[in-house]
Amino acid sequence: MQIDAMLAFLQSNAIADLLNNTEWGFAIAECFHIVFFAVAIGTIMIVDLRLLGLAFPRTTSAKLLHDTWVYTLIGLAVTVFAGMALFLSAPRMYSLSGWFQFKAIALLVAILYNYTVHYKVASSSPSPVVGVVVAAISILLWVSVVTGGLFVGLLA
Amino acid sequence: MSLYSICESIQGTSLMTWVEQTPWVYPIIMAAHLSCIALFGGMILMTDLRLLGLALRDQSIADVVGGLRNFKRVGFVIMVTCGLLMAGSEAPTYYPNPYFWAKMTLLLLVGVHALIFKPIVYDHPEELDKAPVIPTRAKVAALLSLILWVSIPLCGRLIGYYEPDEGKAPQAVRNR
Repeated sequence: MQIDAMLAFLQSNAIADLLNNTEWGFAIAECFHIVFFAVAIGTIMIVDLRLLGLAFPRTTSAKLLHDTWVYTLIGLAVTVFAGMALFLSAPRMYSLSGWFQFKAIALLVAILYNYTVHYKVASSSPSPVVGVVVAAISILLWVSVVTGGLFVGLLA
Repeated sequence: MSLYSICESIQGTSLMTWVEQTPWVYPIIMAAHLSCIALFGGMILMTDLRLLGLALRDQSIADVVGGLRNFKRVGFVIMVTCGLLMAGSEAPTYYPNPYFWAKMTLLLLVGVHALIFKPIVYDHPEELDKAPVIPTRAKVAALLSLILWVSIPLCGRLIGYYEPDEGKAPQAVRNR
């Protein structure tokens, strides 16, 4: 009952009005969500390729992390805020979606992993095996987020 | 034979019928398409930002352009293959969609961009590193690439918003 009341409260908000009652509001929010997600994941992927030993052999993962972290952060921040706006356009529908719940959990795990294990390992000089494992898990987590997001849209 | 009947023929092939009618095949192809856009599209954006001198400035242009080249190529091939399968399986539906044609035009322009700038920018990144400042031709190439590669996924997303009856983007509520 409390959840129902909370969802009803969330449903009646200015962002939902903007996204649901203007022609392009939802589409524009989605565009920001997608483009900045690509920026975030692209920068993380650059570090992951170094950890995998597949690119940038003349530099370290720590250096690449230093060069890309701002873009990753901006990308993730815009993606998350745009995603929250999209969620607020129909909180009840999204909350009941199993795929949305999967995506939300995958995103949370991926962000936590990125700023803990991934950051710590990429900042150090990891052994090749550790680098490969950490990068592989990172890629898997972010692909899970993309897949979850896709099915939220497809099955909504 | 009209273009629409060609679209119907494409959709009628056994491969496209399989993509359209087999449970989970279409969503899996779409997941691969979107994953490639996220992973490799992001690399394209970072390469462009490096050519503009806005990111990865401690890395040489040769390392960024050369180091990511093969991954971007593989990603592009997967993206295009998945895109063709998705479009082919619903070809008659995509046919009247202006955003689909806008996306195809932009992809064509990507080819034109490659023809123009590959010989003078991307094939000689070492020369760009030797120059005291990043040459204008490299910055123009990067800027155009950024515009193209941001517009392509946006058009791709807007394909889903098109309603043939009204010919304009529907409101979000009606889209769900």
